Amino acid sequence: MPILEARALTKTFRRPDKASGFKGAVKHLMQRKYKNYTAVDGIDLSIEPGESVAYVGPNGAGKSTTVKLLTGILRPSEGTVRVMGRDPHTERIANAHDIGVLFGQRTQLWWDLPVEESLKLLKHMYGVSDADYKARIEKFDELLDLGEFMPALARTLSLGQRMRADLACALIHDPKMVYLDEPTIGLDISVKDRLRAFLRELVNDGTTLLLTSHDLADIEEVCERIVVIDKGAIAYDGSIERLKAHYITTKAVNLYLEGAANVPELAEKFPDYEWTAGEAPSEVTVTYESSRFTTAEVLGSLTAQLAPRDLSLSEPSIEDVIRRLYAGELTK
Amino acid sequence: MTLKRGVPARHALAVYWRTWFAQIRSIVEYPADLWVMASAGAVWNILQFAFLAVLFANVPDVAGWGYHEMLMLSGLLSVAGGCNALFWDGAWSTGSMVIKGDIDYRITRPAPVIIQVGSSHIGMQSIGEVVFGAAMLVYGWIGAGIGLAAVPIGVLAVVCAGIIQSALVTALCAVNFWIKGQASIFAFLLIELQGNAMKMPLGIFPSGVRLVAMFLVPVAFVNFVPVSVVTGHMPAWWLAGVPAAVLGSVLLAVGVYRLGLRAYDSAGH
Repeated sequence: MPILEARALTKTFRRPDKASGFKGAVKHLMQRKYKNYTAVDGIDLSIEPGESVAYVGPNGAGKSTTVKLLTGILRPSEGTVRVMGRDPHTERIANAHDIGVLFGQRTQLWWDLPVEESLKLLKHMYGVSDADYKARIEKFDELLDLGEFMPALARTLSLGQRMRADLACALIHDPKMVYLDEPTIGLDISVKDRLRAFLRELVNDGTTLLLTSHDLADIEEVCERIVVIDKGAIAYDGSIERLKAHYITTKAVNLYLEGAANVPELAEKFPDYEWTAGEAPSEVTVTYESSRFTTAEVLGSLTAQLAPRDLSLSEPSIEDVIRRLYAGELTK
Repeated sequence: MTLKRGVPARHALAVYWRTWFAQIRSIVEYPADLWVMASAGAVWNILQFAFLAVLFANVPDVAGWGYHEMLMLSGLLSVAGGCNALFWDGAWSTGSMVIKGDIDYRITRPAPVIIQVGSSHIGMQSIGEVVFGAAMLVYGWIGAGIGLAAVPIGVLAVVCAGIIQSALVTALCAVNFWIKGQASIFAFLLIELQGNAMKMPLGIFPSGVRLVAMFLVPVAFVNFVPVSVVTGHMPAWWLAGVPAAVLGSVLLAVGVYRLGLRAYDSAGH
């Protein structure tokens, strides 16, 4: 049975329809007009317990709105959501015990209180026992180094510290379903690495995770399944491996030749490959269809005939695929 | 007792008090801010004192109300406003929370949103307001010759005044769920009207105003009705209206807030 199930989930907002500037504002005051804007358009989503799902899409695609619908913050205009069999909006309190939420752009810490006080307030709000609280704080400290800033006021924390503290707040009651909306936004590489390691640990422990992020490294390192959303509708839903296998049909080799590369001449000599000049005159990129040639075959023919000074392989990346999905170049 | 939607009332109260005490601990850490704001509240009340002293140096009474009775009106209103700021100042942040999407996290926690918002801030000016408001009330009480026997009524009146005031402010701040704006214009308007009108005996106003203040927006039950009863300007049975006004205003606040949460559409979509 899915832990989360959304059927035909739709959210429409009403926005003022007015011209820009003072004149437009005055006209709107006299003659009020509104336009409907559909942020989420008939989404079907089902998540099994223990799954880690990346929910990605370009800015304005409807990611955050979906998370708000799934967490009960917003009421759907149409469609239904069930989290562990409950409607998260009408059964808000019962649902709150089972979910953990983090919005990377906002904090849930009490701004003028030490981090420790915020965590204690949440402990009491969720009815966490003293023993469980102690054990979880020790674990968070071990994985997120919370101890160093527990006595600090929330408003004095750095962004990385704040995010780690917010993550602890979202997980203090050991929720079964966790929603993380941009948890690594604005963080430096070392903090990102630490957070990703923590999230992997969380998933390994059996927590169900829905993660939205623009950082595809978050997705590749933490999630097994990816849902791509564009203009409020799902453009792809499946495993990351399948996404790569299905859409990454070419591979590339970068060659560093002894002298300057003559791209037209090379293209004529090896017509099965696509040739592109590199940044340096001696650098050239060879792109080939992975269904027709193995990498060993390509490397064999190139090294035998061109004797390059050096070469490197371009790893297949989902970044390109997602970029092309966003741009509408690829279909489901 | 369980509140609608499955929150035990005891849990809701515990959440409230824990948050409130945490805020107090935080305030105590910054004594300079505390004293500046508390002094501001005190100065405002001293000005009220001075105004009434000057007024009654020139006129013997206002619509049959003497200096000490008028002090009680001002004092009780000040204490009510101070209680709102001391115990429920967060309600004033409803508008900015709606605009910034700061209600989001509160919806995802297992506690009433209205409790989480109400207890999210303490107005430090309230200390001066409560202390000097209480001083005016006690001074007026003694000066008006009201005995110790009526003290329980006075205590009940103070508690009810704080609740009615906070509930009315909350209901009006909740209008910002629909009218998007940081400032709670309607609640400010209420405070302004109370400051101008409710420090005077209601008898000087036309009957329409009296009806509105008694039954539509029951601000008269914050200070005018209880003070009128203890000073003998109204019969004692009017006191029954005070707890009724508490119940009505609290239900109104909770109802408007619930409707507001249904209309809440967060920020950034």
